[in-house]
Amino acid sequence: MPDDTEALYAERFTRYTTAMRNGKPDKVPIRPFVAEFTAAYTGRTCQQVTHDYTEAFDAVIECCRDFDWDAAVANMVYVWSGLTEAVGLEYYGVPGIHIGPQTGFQYREPPEEAAFMKPEEYDALIADPTGYLLNVWLPRVSRDVVAPGEPNTSRSSLSLLKGGMATMQYFTALGGQVERMRTETGTVNALAGILKAPMDILADKLRGYLGLVDDVLNRPEKVKAACEALQPHLAHVAATSADPSKTVPITMWMHRSCVPFFSYDHFRDIHWATLKPIIEYLTGEGWQVMFYAEGKWGHHLESFAELADASIIYHCDRDDIFEVHRALGEKFCISGGVPNDLLAFGTPDQVRARCKAIIDGVAGNGGYIMDAGAIIQNDAKPENVQAMTEFTREYGVY
Amino acid sequence: MLKEPETPNQRPGVCIPWEEKVQEMPDLTGDEALIRRVWEEVDGLAYTYVWHILVSF
Repeated sequence: MPDDTEALYAERFTRYTTAMRNGKPDKVPIRPFVAEFTAAYTGRTCQQVTHDYTEAFDAVIECCRDFDWDAAVANMVYVWSGLTEAVGLEYYGVPGIHIGPQTGFQYREPPEEAAFMKPEEYDALIADPTGYLLNVWLPRVSRDVVAPGEPNTSRSSLSLLKGGMATMQYFTALGGQVERMRTETGTVNALAGILKAPMDILADKLRGYLGLVDDVLNRPEKVKAACEALQPHLAHVAATSADPSKTVPITMWMHRSCVPFFSYDHFRDIHWATLKPIIEYLTGEGWQVMFYAEGKWGHHLESFAELADASIIYHCDRDDIFEVHRALGEKFCISGGVPNDLLAFGTPDQVRARCKAIIDGVAGNGGYIMDAGAIIQNDAKPENVQAMTEFTREYGVY
Repeated sequence: MLKEPETPNQRPGVCIPWEEKVQEMPDLTGDEALIRRVWEEVDGLAYTYVWHILVSF
């Protein structure tokens, strides 16, 4: 490993970007999506890294200093609860406020009858998605923001003012964190830019999962039209938050729009039909998109294989990574495959055995990045994360 | 292909379209393109805020 941090960064950058383009680098890159693990490893609570992003940033740097990772996320504890509390967002269980200080933040989906978007509001969303978010959705999800037509309050004005300024502050600070990773530890920032599929957004933040299930059965044409209306906006958010040099990928966080949560037909006719144009737009502009396939998306690999070679990186969570590799490995880089429960409950020897199996079975021709299946939280044992790192570094040499 | 906006309100990056804003202004005496560009850049910050609350937070 070079002594010079800039040389180390360059080595890791080449390794990481080569693998992502389905090439064969010098070694298997290591890119763990460490979230609340950084808190546990550095002696902080989940509350500290969730509520104070400067603590989260320092925790990441301390981990990058100790672990020989090629890339990491600048802050994988992606909800800054200091911001969400200032805005008054209702949908998070925040460590230290609603849940224990050592539990990662929780998304609290409202009951079906209290969904943030009513079924009769599809036309309003379709006609003006941004207007709907500002005038209807934000007042519902924030305990402070007042809807147009209601008596205004200073708390409402303050929520908007604080939220806007704090978001600007945080996004600016993230740029500084990326630079710290480069200059202090020679670690590549793993990703830039965020995407979620229109149908996932409808379920996650608007209608709720149960509401959307009802909608695809009783008003599927509205669901499709709403997904189409969201398309250009989600593409815009992804493009404007992405790496301007187009070297690290936009990440798409994939949630519940797959079998068995929805049917094959719903996946094909609504989810994929409205998501694929976004992916093709972004990859046509030169970005790669990481498909962070949380859970099991193995029923739909044929659809993903329709995309252009090396346009995506496919991240494997609970699916059989060897099957995923067989189906997609010729076209796309694969990442993941180390089960999170193995990192939490297994032994270093078991972790090493799993890494060996993956490297032997998936990484032979390059195009593989070592990582856990899902974001690594504070239940992962440090010795297991170290075993994953050290073994991959020693054994994963081309 | 992505869905094309059918109205100015549907354009990505837009909260209050320039077409609507300019109607409220007096007859412009100077560089309209400059005024429009800066209006749209700052308006886009509010767009960024609400869409990131939806997507990122």
